[in-house]
Amino acid sequence: MSEVQRKKYTEQEKNRIFDEEFMPHIDSMYNFGYRLTFDEDDAKDLVQDTYLKAYRFINSFEQGTNAKAWLFRILKNSFINDYRKKSKQPAKVDYQEVETYYNSEDVDYKMTSDLRVDSLKDMLGDEISNALNSLAVDFRTVIILCDLEGFTYEEMAKILDIPIGTVRSRLHRARNLLKDKLRSYAQNMGYKTDEEE
Amino acid sequence: MENNLEGSGERKLQCSDVSKCFQLLESILDGANIPDSQEILKSKLAKCQPCFEHFHLEQAIKEVLKNKCTKHEVPSELVANIRQKIEEIK
Ligand SMILES: [Zn+2]
Repeated sequence: MSEVQRKKYTEQEKNRIFDEEFMPHIDSMYNFGYRLTFDEDDAKDLVQDTYLKAYRFINSFEQGTNAKAWLFRILKNSFINDYRKKSKQPAKVDYQEVETYYNSEDVDYKMTSDLRVDSLKDMLGDEISNALNSLAVDFRTVIILCDLEGFTYEEMAKILDIPIGTVRSRLHRARNLLKDKLRSYAQNMGYKTDEEE
Repeated sequence: MENNLEGSGERKLQCSDVSKCFQLLESILDGANIPDSQEILKSKLAKCQPCFEHFHLEQAIKEVLKNKCTKHEVPSELVANIRQKIEEIK
């Protein structure tokens, strides 16, 4: 069976899948890589690596399934296994914390924000980007996947290898942290917040 | 959004179950496959002020993230590099 799997696609089919199903996602892949590493060269390496792996393991890709999610999963694994290990940045002090404490599915849902919709809409792209970039990588990742790339919870669970409940709770926490950042930007920059009323 | 959702006269000021409501609202906003989600959403927003405010804030954040986050242009040589490497391993 694995032999059959391994020989699944002809050269021609491989090329077609690669060109028509994989390459169109290169913009999203590069942006994901860039937002994980904040470095153009590292992002390029990650994306190139991902596409080489994708080609090498193309027989394990099922046609008709979500190629973009499949590619994102490879990139995210490359980031964790290769990039984080070789980079001198400690695998982010926050990572351990995120894995242990923040993986809990108990989330406190409450009215948090005095952030106003109006002031959000006045913010510039750089402010939004900076707020996102300031989050720990695991929180940043769920927001990128959900809000920037439009993946479903099910797809995110597969990309990240975590249960859906964890996707949901991590996303909720990530958004609360993002709101805190945006609220302090709003205050610093003189946008309206309810506190000033 | 329909007009009748905008008037806040009828909405209760305390949400009876914030955790459950907000989680549901966020799932709907994120496009989760929930039966009758549009009806549920409409009725929650019409009846509950905290739900109304939470939903609109989350929706606005989602929109600014999607529309305003700076996109980085793919370096022009990247595609060529990938294709070259693929040719090498073929
Ligand atoms: Zn409510």
